Amino acid sequence: MDVVVLAKQVPDAEAAIEIRGEGAKLEIEPKFATSIFDEFALEEALRIRERHGGHVRVITLGAGKATEVLRTGIAMGADEALLLDNAAFLDGDGYSTALALSRAVAKAPWDIILCGKQAIDDDRGEVGPMVAQFLGFPHVGGIVKLDIGDGKAVAESLTEGGREVVEVLLPAVFTVQKGLNEPRVAPITGVMKAMKAQIPKMTPEDLGLSAQEVGLAGSKVRVKRYLPPKKRPPVKMIGGEAAEAAAEAARILAEVERVI
Amino acid sequence: METVLIFVETKGGEVKKASLELLSEGRKLAQTGRFKVEAAVLGPLPAALADKLLPYTETLVHIDDPLLEAYTPEAYAAALAGYAQEAKPKMILAGATQTGRDFLPRVAVLLGCGIVSDVTAVAWEDDPITCVRPIYGGKVLTEVSPLAYPVVVTTRPNTFAIAEPGSAPGSVVESRAGLNVGKMHTKVLRVEQKQKGKVDLTEADIIVSGGRGLKAAENFALVEELAAALGGTVGAARSVVDAGWRPQEDQVGKSGKTVSPKLYIAIGISGAIHHIMGMDTSKLVLAINRDPNAIIFQYANYGIVGDLFEVVPAMTAELKKRTGA
Amino acid sequence: MDFSLTEEQEFFKKMITDTVDRMVVPKAQEIDHKDEFPLELWREFGKLGYLGLRYPEEIGGMNADPVTAMIFYEQIARGSVGFAQSVIMNILMGTYFVYRFGSEAIRERCLYPAMRAEKVATMCFTEDQSGSDLAATRTTAVKDGNEWVINGTKMWITNGPIADFATVLATTDRSLGNKGLNFFLVEKGTPGFSAGQVLDKLGCRGTITGELVFDNVRVPAENLLGEEMNKGVDYLGEILDEVRTMTGAMAMGIAQAAFDEGLEYARKRVAFGKPIGSYQLIRAKFADMATEMESSRLMVYYAAWRIKEKLSSRKEAAMAKMLATETCCKVVDEVTRIWGANGFAHEYNPQRHFRDARFLLYGGGTHEIIKDFLGRLIIGKS
Repeated sequence: MDVVVLAKQVPDAEAAIEIRGEGAKLEIEPKFATSIFDEFALEEALRIRERHGGHVRVITLGAGKATEVLRTGIAMGADEALLLDNAAFLDGDGYSTALALSRAVAKAPWDIILCGKQAIDDDRGEVGPMVAQFLGFPHVGGIVKLDIGDGKAVAESLTEGGREVVEVLLPAVFTVQKGLNEPRVAPITGVMKAMKAQIPKMTPEDLGLSAQEVGLAGSKVRVKRYLPPKKRPPVKMIGGEAAEAAAEAARILAEVERVI
Repeated sequence: METVLIFVETKGGEVKKASLELLSEGRKLAQTGRFKVEAAVLGPLPAALADKLLPYTETLVHIDDPLLEAYTPEAYAAALAGYAQEAKPKMILAGATQTGRDFLPRVAVLLGCGIVSDVTAVAWEDDPITCVRPIYGGKVLTEVSPLAYPVVVTTRPNTFAIAEPGSAPGSVVESRAGLNVGKMHTKVLRVEQKQKGKVDLTEADIIVSGGRGLKAAENFALVEELAAALGGTVGAARSVVDAGWRPQEDQVGKSGKTVSPKLYIAIGISGAIHHIMGMDTSKLVLAINRDPNAIIFQYANYGIVGDLFEVVPAMTAELKKRTGA
Repeated sequence: MDFSLTEEQEFFKKMITDTVDRMVVPKAQEIDHKDEFPLELWREFGKLGYLGLRYPEEIGGMNADPVTAMIFYEQIARGSVGFAQSVIMNILMGTYFVYRFGSEAIRERCLYPAMRAEKVATMCFTEDQSGSDLAATRTTAVKDGNEWVINGTKMWITNGPIADFATVLATTDRSLGNKGLNFFLVEKGTPGFSAGQVLDKLGCRGTITGELVFDNVRVPAENLLGEEMNKGVDYLGEILDEVRTMTGAMAMGIAQAAFDEGLEYARKRVAFGKPIGSYQLIRAKFADMATEMESSRLMVYYAAWRIKEKLSSRKEAAMAKMLATETCCKVVDEVTRIWGANGFAHEYNPQRHFRDARFLLYGGGTHEIIKDFLGRLIIGKS
């Protein structure tokens, strides 16, 4: 099985984010991590290789510290990594990002593509399905279980209020959810290998794309402005003993706020 | 006159909330005289369902094909995009439900156009339209606009108001999707429904959520009773899902579901940032926690510092009294 | 001057920080409360291979340079000192002399299993009557035919009561003082070698520290770890600087753990309507702590760098140990003050860092000894 993982380097959940320049840009504390859903994707790829044999390739589109995601992948056991870090690739919307990634995947044979259901910075959740469509193959979104068979796979997703089990022919794309697996901790041999690894890079030209088709230039939608979220007014504490407070809360919800 | 195509999502013969919200917005757009609105249903369209929809839209397009019997992203995307290629809408709208977010990106690729996903507000009068969507789990909002049309937009449930149905119902237009069975590679094996009629967290108007403060799985009964008294849905913090007390589907938070109910009650939840990211867009938040310094109070409208084992049953009793239950 | 870590070292740091966060941090309080050797964690962590950190790749190690090793020591201590002490004993002091001088048979029996966390190692210097004063060692080793007979009692031995093998410092001639000291390998199961009292410690709970008794313990001649007789102190000198710098790195780990707790608390704890972090006196505490930690950390990594570059490091290592440890003790104290009454509760972490930090004051050398040594070095023999 040739498995490809699309992983993204994102700011750490604790990184401080500030809006600057009257909403023109964001200043983010330089603390990074692998987007959490992509960790599950990486782990699943390694498990598939353990069960069925094959090869695991990890691809990242990103600049600077993005190599860390790839090194983490290698430390966990991935066979190969690829970085798309040319400036032209950056700041794309779902469309141009998925276009670039789909071409990078297509550079070598693949049976399965795994990626997180959404990246925890942009929260778009577009790249997985779009990569599948660009490549012309099916996808199953938000899986929590995956069984690979002969030329096909059975995947289970959580739906609103239940579960759905589908059978899909390979090759196919799967976007993954929490609950799929527990990512492994990299052993020291993996860490050592990752520390020394030389990470290959590709430019848009290597992918048969012009700089205008990828990244910001190739985007179909654009972010105009950043805004802070609506702030809630300071909390009003409801005092008194349990029974009093409970009665007061019920009254407020029913008569003051009228939400019940 | 531009066309706005609205994908209508249905489940168990009912129209999904986000779709009704969009149809309501669609009616407003139609009333400006600048837009013609078409609502599209994919797959089977029972008469009862058509009757529910026709008061909301002038044109109800029924796109049918054997391959649309059960939802698969490939088939739905091909069918909707195929229709859009004929109808040439300026905007294609859908609810940012699990299904909507799953297949609409494929539609965008098929049409070679842009998509803005999981939007919480739209300024339709702007040119181009301005969509607001959260990033970083809601820590920042972005204003996003398409650079060209058509554009696909998926909107989060609980974003728009649902209007009263109109008095002049529309008409149904049949359309064959003409899907190529050879090209569709997904087969739905099994669909399990947990509890019939259980409102999904993402659409719920009222959510009562529990965390570690409940101390044991059995104590979630308190949360369930309060939720029942309110007609709400039960949610859970990550810690109790990880501990196996509640299923993954109930998790509210960054790696769970993002919710925006009218009322969110957080019981025994400390307010770790990954949880906040999942519920901060709730209109009204009430937090109950024994720790006066719990971070959750910084994200609540009302707070009670106390023993939840006393406060919650007392609230349930109060509410039952009020509703005469 | 390039003060940065290499990209490789940055990546290593990221991986070990993440590993510690996932595997060790969640268990730290439990390890402290139970004060039992965390066998399950030891095995899980051992499988990752970090216990071979310092030894060559050819024998299954990582061949980490001293700077990279410090990154490890700092992070593991940040996770749990009770666990870190046992781990580091296996990585460094408990195995070094076996690695350096042991025969292949000895390596097979002791070193390689210790690197795989299959065996627990320890090093025994301290006795009831001698800590800093090595010359006063009373454990004796007497040659009898082809064997050494060891007699004595060691105290305050990390991993001692559970050790599978021990590197024991014994004197072969008390009249020679320091120059009569040698290292001997003693393995568990050898008649006369037993664990004595286990100590109930203020901090570093989870590490089993105690007494080892040698009652006419007979070991073969090859168990003398050393190329020449009576060079024990010189051999010790080979790792003394690393041991001291390592202690400094552990101090930075503990300080960081405490500092992070203090920061989170200052940001969320509200008093008089504002987070306490907005008050000047609290801000001053953080300014002081951060400045001292930054300078201590630089000293630790500078000393490590000197060791790596094979420059003289005796002075720098001693300074690093002392400075980092004193800083750590200040930081853990300040953080418990910032936490107020909550800093007094076993339920929370700051009290654990406060107790754990104390051991640093003598582990690796007491500051009184170090100051005397540094003073003599600077002023010269009078």
